[in-house]
Amino acid sequence: MSGGRTGTGAVVFACMDADTLGGVQRVTHTMAQGLAERGREVHVIGLHRAEKPFRYVERPRYTSHVIHRTPVGRLSRLGRRRERRALGRLLREVGPGFAVLASPSVVTRIGNLLPEWLLPIGQYHGSYEHARGSWHLGSVRGHYGTLEKAVFLSEEDAWLFSEHALLPNTWSIPNPLPAWPSRTAELTARRVLGVGRLEGVKRFDRLISAFAEACGRPAPGEACRDEALVEARREAGEDWELHLIGEGAERGRLMSHAAACKVSDRVVFRGAVPAARMGDEYRGGSVLALSSEHEGLPLVVGEAASYGVPSVAFDVSGGLRSLVLDGRTGVLVPPADVGALATALAGLMASAEERRRLGAAARAHVEAFRPDRVLDRWEALFDQVTR
Amino acid sequence: MVITYNDAARLARAVRSVLRQSLRNVEVIIADDASTDGTEKVARELQRGDPRVRYLRGEVNSGGCGVPRNRGVAAARAPYVMFLDSDDELTRHACKSMLLEIERTGADFVTGQISRLYERTGKTARYYPALFTRRRTVEGIAREPEMFLNSFSTNKLYRAELLRRVPFREDMHYEDHVFSTALYCAARRFAVVPWVVYLWHRASAESESRLSISLCLTEMANVRSRIRAARLSDDILRDSGLDGLGGLVHERQRRFIRQDLRVYLNPLPSRDPAWIEEFVSVIHPYLAELDPVVFETVDPLLRVCCSFILDGRPDELLVAARSLNGPKAPPRAAVREGGRTYWGTVADERREITSLRMAELPYTASRLRHEAVVTGEGAVIRLEITTYDPFGVLDANPGWTAFLRFRNHRVRLEPRPREGEDGYASEATIDLAAIRHGRLGFEGRYDPVVEIVNPDGRVTSDRLLVDPSTASFGMTVLWHEVVVRAEGTAAFLRVLWRRQGVLRQLPRLKRAATRLLRRVSGPEVKLRVYKGLISVLPPRTDLALFESDVGAGYTGNPRYIYEELRRRNAPLKVVWSIAGTGGRLPPDVRPVRRMSWRHIWTMARAGYWVDSHGMPLAYPKPPGTRYLQTWHGQGIKSVGFDAPDLRADFDGPRAAWRAAVERWDALVSPSAEFERVFVPSNGYRGRLLRHGSPRCDVLVHGDREAARRAREELEIPHWSRVLLYAPTYRDRAKGSGQSVRADLASMAEALSGDWTVILRTHPVERFEVPEHLRHFVRHAGSYPEVNDLILLSDALLTDYSSLMCDYAVTGRPMLFLIDDWDEYRRVERGVYHDLPAIAPGPCLTTTEELIEALRDLEGLTASFASRYIAFRRTWCADEKGHASAKVVDSFFPPAHAQAPRPAGVRERAPAGVRQLSRLPLLGRPR
Repeated sequence: MSGGRTGTGAVVFACMDADTLGGVQRVTHTMAQGLAERGREVHVIGLHRAEKPFRYVERPRYTSHVIHRTPVGRLSRLGRRRERRALGRLLREVGPGFAVLASPSVVTRIGNLLPEWLLPIGQYHGSYEHARGSWHLGSVRGHYGTLEKAVFLSEEDAWLFSEHALLPNTWSIPNPLPAWPSRTAELTARRVLGVGRLEGVKRFDRLISAFAEACGRPAPGEACRDEALVEARREAGEDWELHLIGEGAERGRLMSHAAACKVSDRVVFRGAVPAARMGDEYRGGSVLALSSEHEGLPLVVGEAASYGVPSVAFDVSGGLRSLVLDGRTGVLVPPADVGALATALAGLMASAEERRRLGAAARAHVEAFRPDRVLDRWEALFDQVTR
Repeated sequence: MVITYNDAARLARAVRSVLRQSLRNVEVIIADDASTDGTEKVARELQRGDPRVRYLRGEVNSGGCGVPRNRGVAAARAPYVMFLDSDDELTRHACKSMLLEIERTGADFVTGQISRLYERTGKTARYYPALFTRRRTVEGIAREPEMFLNSFSTNKLYRAELLRRVPFREDMHYEDHVFSTALYCAARRFAVVPWVVYLWHRASAESESRLSISLCLTEMANVRSRIRAARLSDDILRDSGLDGLGGLVHERQRRFIRQDLRVYLNPLPSRDPAWIEEFVSVIHPYLAELDPVVFETVDPLLRVCCSFILDGRPDELLVAARSLNGPKAPPRAAVREGGRTYWGTVADERREITSLRMAELPYTASRLRHEAVVTGEGAVIRLEITTYDPFGVLDANPGWTAFLRFRNHRVRLEPRPREGEDGYASEATIDLAAIRHGRLGFEGRYDPVVEIVNPDGRVTSDRLLVDPSTASFGMTVLWHEVVVRAEGTAAFLRVLWRRQGVLRQLPRLKRAATRLLRRVSGPEVKLRVYKGLISVLPPRTDLALFESDVGAGYTGNPRYIYEELRRRNAPLKVVWSIAGTGGRLPPDVRPVRRMSWRHIWTMARAGYWVDSHGMPLAYPKPPGTRYLQTWHGQGIKSVGFDAPDLRADFDGPRAAWRAAVERWDALVSPSAEFERVFVPSNGYRGRLLRHGSPRCDVLVHGDREAARRAREELEIPHWSRVLLYAPTYRDRAKGSGQSVRADLASMAEALSGDWTVILRTHPVERFEVPEHLRHFVRHAGSYPEVNDLILLSDALLTDYSSLMCDYAVTGRPMLFLIDDWDEYRRVERGVYHDLPAIAPGPCLTTTEELIEALRDLEGLTASFASRYIAFRRTWCADEKGHASAKVVDSFFPPAHAQAPRPAGVRERAPAGVRQLSRLPLLGRPR
């Protein structure tokens, strides 16, 4: 076991629903399995049943529990009482240790139902920017300060929460990568990857615009000033394709947007790809582009990096900045600056050497996100809590 | 380290707050300064209960905090130390959070926020939060001399070795002031954390304002100790070599005035004259030593107080101290000379109060000083009021009348000029037993005011200052207990009512009723009933439901469409949905409270819906009802599915909006540009009415009367030019006041002789104009009709508000303050147009530029003429001044939009009538 230590104390992970397909859930099961393999007693609690359950770990060495038979939704008074009883019964059996509460909803729901021998740790899986735009900031400010620790995705986010939510107990641990590949990408394929659900928040429309511009096909409204530059890009961008991997409600709008940008022939809508085959996708790409409105710690960037694929992204959160060191392991451009994204894309599309330089550095950089390393950080956190 | 002396009752609470720390590895040292009560017993018990507790007992009481602290520091085994007084508490993460911070930063000490906890109310208030906003490391006090304001020894975590180098003085009180100065001199680096680490328990506020005589006597010794501490601190600073040009000493002395002196000035109004005289003589020598520059930057009223101490005028000091807090009353007399205002009867520059701008306020905001003497007998109270008019407000409004107002009860006053003295005297007698505040009585409090009504009917009012030592008197009147008392340190009159007897149960019954009501008429029930109603009831074609700006009032496109219908005598009954207070409506329009049962009923029955935002989201339109969506603006901001609230992670809001848009039967489209942008981004596919905006008709035609009315209503002098400042909101900071980005204070400084600003904030924004700007800024966020403001104004200042497109109709100059343009267009909101490229006026980023631009408005206007034309071509090409008429023509069938024609003309059956064959959902209505 590389760098692993065994600690004492049980760990309970609690999510709203633990078995739906989603980032929070995947991280939770990865951590649960990792800590159980290190000899801890681990439980994963889903407060609600998943509508489409997904199996994250083939042979779990932890115990799973589901409290309600209903999917996530409002609880009746009776449901609340049932929840209190069921949790009480369940947690009485768990030895002293830590309860990791995955989101503001979980913290408010069960934060004060925990027995005193389970020390509560609250997690927040979004960026500070995201929390600020929703009810999350108020909830985190109101409820996380009394927990043993409030864990955020990056140093920067933890800092912002300590300043703006006045939390005295912030800490940061990144989410782990699912695996660590041995074989990396060749970076010779003329393919830009966009990975994520086709939803408004991912702003793939901006990526399509930027890709079109990088291929020397600027949108009619924003005619590129410099003819020579357009020509150079057209040449360098020849045969390049943008592969969008994911499914969602925006597909129609995005397709017509691609047509409006005159890159329908270059943008490939690949639909959803199973996690097991994502490795091949990363190995078949040369650049990963991320154009989201906001992101917490976008693991697609980390995964791509683990395959040696550099990323180009909008600089939207502390989490992103912890994954990509601008100019050294990828390129960050100002949020929503499509022109700058296009320039960055064009730069990488034009130079395989630059892709290799950034890609190799990116892979080295994201070693810190390997499951073992992240597990070590959790162990350090547990030590910190009981200090 | 908990120091204690005779505090058995609270010691355990303090110690437990340490034992409960999230940092488990702590040692608690109770340093007892030879208590004689049960403190020792409590401490020994705590020691038995937890091995982490140690108890150090002094043999003789030292009379201060220095000895026990030093003793504790000497005994401490830990590398880091915190102090805690036995009546206060640490917050749960105080130790661990500051320990991690000191380890991370390598600072000599870490300091965090103190929060006062008022035991009577349980409320907390952070102490000088501005000092702690940023989490940071400060390389020495010289970098941030403001931190002298943070001179407690308690809200800090120290390296123990540092404490041993900087011991507490043991021969004096306020040793922590001296200690803090020495500490700041000794620390090369300290860290500041923004969260609350220390809870300072405050007993009830009343015991503070009413001090017993003996306490007052010991207080004079306190004053002396504080001055001694201040002198010692100054010396330490001078000797430290940090104080380059005397700047740091001055900063610390300013702290003395703002903090130490203020401690005595706040309760000064309740002292007797002899005490005040002695106080002045004790404090005078120290203040006289200070360099005059020290006073220059302190708050003007505090500076006035200092000047009276320096002049040895205890009587005047008392008058000034009564203005420091509470209503912050104006002076008894003031002098105006050369545009400057001075406190008192002579123009002494130390007493200049121009920056408070009290003398230049509009009538309704103007300030008078009413000092009252209250006496009571039974339920009858008698007030003798002296009214001072330092700024000549009364003289400028001959024919004024005065009233004394007790909530809804008003008594006429007959003030007469006082003989041989300034001001007016009046008396009033109020029989509380005769006052009725509501049918079911009243519970609550209010501050009686004197109202001065001028001949125009405008009212200005001020609270009544009373002697803070006035004993509060209570009485029982018809089902109530009433208390009349002096409130606060700069005391003003306050009346508290409490229901008695049967009425006492009223609030409880009311709460129960509300709970019940909520269960039987909550939003879900309403929606269900509504759906039932629309499935059985046909809409009435002679009934129209209007709403503007989600119930804001009678304004916008719906207003002008309604007025057009009225002009035509259309046979339509109009109901207007109003949220909140709503403002004035024409007499033949019936108001209905938004989301009330009557509103639900009207929604279900109305044959026409006309609004400018959206009827309640989840409510489907009744089959047969026709919905005219008039929308409320056009411009550069992203809208619909492109706007931040709809492009977020969750799909619910998008689906709800899609369904809401589906309800529209026709959409008022003001321009081709609107159709290019708005229509696709909301996924609208229905009919468009391209006739311009009904609300802009009046801007095309003009309306002098409306402009005159607005000027009068807002009390804008006739000579003043008017700048309408209408910033839009920021999506991620709604209600924060952050959208007001111009520096109004420096604008006032530069422009107040020439301009008046009308501040029109967005309805979702909250902003209060401070008093010292009210001479220059009129807040018109809730003024009922924005068109009147547009018509009144000489120029518009905005950022990204859609108002710019309406304003362009007038052809008047526009300025744009867009300092956060990049943030706004990329992240905050998103835009469709490059504003700097198309703006019909200068795009500015600082207030200085703005002031420059306003000074040369004519020149600027000329240079933007062609851009202005292009801008109008884009957005205002269809504004011809007849939009209301055309919209009514094309949306309403002639039968509903025209007065009934003489008999004999046949009409078709109304389009809204439906067959009643469908099965009713909720059973047949009775």
